[in-house]
Amino acid sequence: MGAQEKSQANANSMQRVKVYRLNDDGKWDDQGTGHVTVDYLERSEELGLFVIDEDDNETILLHRISPDDIYRKQEDTIISWRDPEYSTELALSFQETTGCSYIWDNICNVQRNLNFNSLNSETFHSMNSELRELPAVELSTLPLILKILTESGIADQMRLTELILNDQEFFRKLMDLFRICEDLENIDNLHMIFKIVKGIILLNSPQIFEKIFGDELIMDIIGSLEYDPEVPHVQHHRKFLKEHVVFKEAIPIKDPLVLSKIHQTYRVGYLKDVVLARVLDESTVANLNTIIHGNNAIVVSLLKDDSTFIQELFARLRSPTTSAESKKNLVYFLHEFCSLSKSLQMVQQLRLFRDLMNEGIFDIITDALQSQDKKLVLTGTDILILFLNQDPNLLRTFVVRQEGVSLLGLLVKGMITDFGDDMHCQFLEILRSLLDSYTLSGAQRDTIIEIFYEKHLGQLIEVITASCPPKGIAQSIGESGGTESTKSEILSNICELLCFCVLHHPYRIKCNFLLNNVMDKVLLLTQRREKYLVVATVRFVRTILSRHDEHLINHIVKNNLLKPIVDVFVANGNRYNLLNSAVLELFEYIRKENLKALLIYIVDSFWNQLANFEYLASMQSFKVKYEQCLETSGIKSNVNSVDQRKRIDERAPEKEEEDYFNEDSDEEDTASASQTQRAQAQPVSSNGVAASYAALSPRSGLVDYDDDEDDEDYRPPPRKHAETSEEEEGLEPLRLKRKLSSSNEKEPELVVKKQRLGKNSKSRDSVFAALCSTLSQLPTKKTASSMQIIPRTADGNKGSGEENQPEESVNTRNSDNSSSSDEENHNREKESVASRNCSDCLHSSSDNGQLSGEDCPLIAPKSSPEMAVNGS
Amino acid sequence: MSDLDRQIEQLKKCEPLKESEVKALCLKAMEILVEESNVQRVDAPVTICGDIHGQFYDMKELFKVGGDCPKTNYLFLGDFVDRGFYSVETFLLLLALKVRYPDRITLIRGNHESRQITQVYGFYDECLRKYGSVNVWRYCTDIFDYLSLSALIENKIFSVHGGLSPAISTLDQIRTIDRKQEVPHDGAMCDLLWSDPEDIVDGWGLSPRGAGFLFGGSVVTSFNHSNNIDYICRAHQLVMEGYKWMFNSQIVTVWSAPNYCYRCGNVAAILELDENLNKQFRVFDAAPQESRGTPAKKPAPDYFL
Repeated sequence: MGAQEKSQANANSMQRVKVYRLNDDGKWDDQGTGHVTVDYLERSEELGLFVIDEDDNETILLHRISPDDIYRKQEDTIISWRDPEYSTELALSFQETTGCSYIWDNICNVQRNLNFNSLNSETFHSMNSELRELPAVELSTLPLILKILTESGIADQMRLTELILNDQEFFRKLMDLFRICEDLENIDNLHMIFKIVKGIILLNSPQIFEKIFGDELIMDIIGSLEYDPEVPHVQHHRKFLKEHVVFKEAIPIKDPLVLSKIHQTYRVGYLKDVVLARVLDESTVANLNTIIHGNNAIVVSLLKDDSTFIQELFARLRSPTTSAESKKNLVYFLHEFCSLSKSLQMVQQLRLFRDLMNEGIFDIITDALQSQDKKLVLTGTDILILFLNQDPNLLRTFVVRQEGVSLLGLLVKGMITDFGDDMHCQFLEILRSLLDSYTLSGAQRDTIIEIFYEKHLGQLIEVITASCPPKGIAQSIGESGGTESTKSEILSNICELLCFCVLHHPYRIKCNFLLNNVMDKVLLLTQRREKYLVVATVRFVRTILSRHDEHLINHIVKNNLLKPIVDVFVANGNRYNLLNSAVLELFEYIRKENLKALLIYIVDSFWNQLANFEYLASMQSFKVKYEQCLETSGIKSNVNSVDQRKRIDERAPEKEEEDYFNEDSDEEDTASASQTQRAQAQPVSSNGVAASYAALSPRSGLVDYDDDEDDEDYRPPPRKHAETSEEEEGLEPLRLKRKLSSSNEKEPELVVKKQRLGKNSKSRDSVFAALCSTLSQLPTKKTASSMQIIPRTADGNKGSGEENQPEESVNTRNSDNSSSSDEENHNREKESVASRNCSDCLHSSSDNGQLSGEDCPLIAPKSSPEMAVNGS
Repeated sequence: MSDLDRQIEQLKKCEPLKESEVKALCLKAMEILVEESNVQRVDAPVTICGDIHGQFYDMKELFKVGGDCPKTNYLFLGDFVDRGFYSVETFLLLLALKVRYPDRITLIRGNHESRQITQVYGFYDECLRKYGSVNVWRYCTDIFDYLSLSALIENKIFSVHGGLSPAISTLDQIRTIDRKQEVPHDGAMCDLLWSDPEDIVDGWGLSPRGAGFLFGGSVVTSFNHSNNIDYICRAHQLVMEGYKWMFNSQIVTVWSAPNYCYRCGNVAAILELDENLNKQFRVFDAAPQESRGTPAKKPAPDYFL
């Protein structure tokens, strides 16, 4: 009893303080004398300093302990700080130095916990607790130590942490005991030690971690954690670490600090992911990750600043005398090195990547991609992805150089190469990233896109044609063996890339598709046996339609390109599967977007086949829309007029293309115009342009653009205008817009040419021709104006997402993954349809969303939706 | 024993497959899933399961309580991944069972079967940690796009992960969704995977989740009536008792992740329907600690840095 009273009294004198406040005159006002405690602020989980007046129990001071470095300790008895709430200096003057240092330590502990965000809601035992010192570490005291550990509240934990840290011998003694118990196979005590070590780790103190993860202790610590009483068998972690783990050195590392950090990182990671995976709470995991992250940063920085190391690395990579095996290891090393550099600060990482580029890392990867060893090839692609995630322009800069061009070719080749069992979706991802037209950077990207279309698009299309020869040529696809052997995975990747291109390079794709019959060739895929490829082909057509491009639609109608789609749909019969849904969705889209040319073409050409499906509501609506369409056009739907219409419809685009080719021959050669086709087109030419359009005038444009705004580059005028003038003025806004957009670029001749064409030849065809020819050389750059108009919500998203800490949201993480950039595009772009795969895009303009295309940019994807707490 | 059977045995031990095996499995699964409907028809008897969330050992408990596949016919309502420690093993086991016994197990898509969500809630990181690259994540998320959106049991019980959509009043309208896409931010497909029933809402309400809607009893009544179904079975929300009826037994929530996130303290349930659609809920607890193996994950045994 007596002792307890004494300690009470001690505690009282220890806590006795005077409170001072700096007044406006620069003098310290005495606010009173009382006892200081650290306790929870009312109705909050935050800790504060309380000073209660020793006479009247009034609160003299209430101060929330700040995580910021505002506290100063003076002369062993004074703690002062600038108080943000009182906005003046405050000071506590202690009666005793021990009291001062005690409160000081408490403030430091609270700050530490605030900074590691590990406060939890355990009851706070104020510092009047009895915990003064730890018992000596002996076998007999283990139960007591365990009791203290498991029963201490948060304030005690801080005190406990401090006591453990102050006792220099604590861990050494504990580990000595562990070894003794292990020798004696004293399982009970080993279990006890397990619990103690686990409890100490859960104190989550960075200082303790520093100690126990040091080279001397860490293996014993891991050893003690092999004896989990809740796991029936003893684990063999040390054995694994000592006997199975191999530390590989591609280039010998001499710095002992680097070596020690490397090993420590591996072991801490092992502890976190394997040994204690189920035991750790989130804040402890976070602290362990911080250690790993910090170590990685140190290792990478020390190595990157070691110029002899980097030079030796690249010298060996380049040297002809280095064996293939060790070159392979060097590339693997580079991969780990680049991937750990994520732990550096952004700026440093960017600098490192630039340095690596200057050292010639892309040449090394170009070599690696030509290797026979597929694992090495894929490691090369993984490195490229790391670069692209950091800054796509580094790789772009390289690819546009003379020596870099072959890399692009290798990537395309990789995408169409059979990798057997290995996964090789990286190639598609890299190409998408290089060809992404939504990123802001300019010239290089455009050059790359140009090279791609010039050299590689054809290659991809060839893979398709080779894998499914047109009917009649190869009579039995199944037997010919070679033809079907192309991996369906490759074909589906090509399809996906083509959809991506349709969305990103509308003009290039348009010229290419019209001139080279690309669509016809892609549609050959509908003959493939794999239904997901057939569905991918449907999606490709659907993506083209989402462009609302009149010329492409005319091309489809004229060449009867929906026939293969309708055929597979009909052949699929009444089976309700993805193919059925995808085609129905395509029809729904045509109906809802009121694409008249297609409505009429489909019903006129295929209704006898499609009539069988009239039991489906969507097919009924389609037919109804068709009939409405005929009525509004003022033409009675009798067979003859329909046929006639059809003939006109077919004639018109043909005409356009003919004239296009004629005009085109005067222009500079387009990259994509093939001589053969031009020659074919030549003979059918030079009929009266005006006449053909006069015949069309009642219906003029084949596509109704009333509610179509989402094709931001191409804007036909409102339909209210006189029909005839529409033909001439149709491209006026476009021309102006392109002029605007190209104001940043240096291409005055082209603009002049467009103007000339616009004025001189009143024919829409010629304008189209000019457009095609210029565009095939012009970068299809986003117009500057649309960039500015659409707010960059991506950053906003990110911010709000973090602030609100949503339990769950559909907001994407801005991670090192491609989808994050997609998300940005999504927000930034008017055709918010960009995304990681073409199919992702469909929704925003499709009928799933109740938005018309017009609404997309305004409503923009929900930025940071939050989710209910109990959500899943 | 075929490769597939061997892989199933391996996955049952919570050992993940090799990348090449995952690739082959996914390609096979694609061929099967592409043939399924947006409203997949399911015959009774069937056992309906809600969210699993990568709690592999708890899913093994589920199979203990409900019986093994293919002996028992299963319908899983999505959310196989994220949150738990074993999303990879959980999803791959279900997928392997799907490929092995396509007619005895139906998997429909939950809101977590999405590229965006899995990047935030664990599956992405788990793949990266277990395989050292995100290729497995890419293949799995590609498969997610093929998963069916809902199921209809004997024309009488409509099953979906989240709930209803204002854009959908008849089951027929679900047919014209091209489901092979990332879960959109809005629209019918999004709503089916994200919406929740809510007592205090009359008609439709804004969802605090930021996607999908809240819908009230009247919406359910008219949906059930116009589609001639008995009730809706869905998952998506944690219910402490494992299942919960709402709106006068017109909709039921089934939740199959016991002690959700290893700390919520809830029990889990599955709903067994016999051939006459008689209902029996089976409630179960989290797997006992001893039955959980140590995490199978070992870091790569060699390292440069």
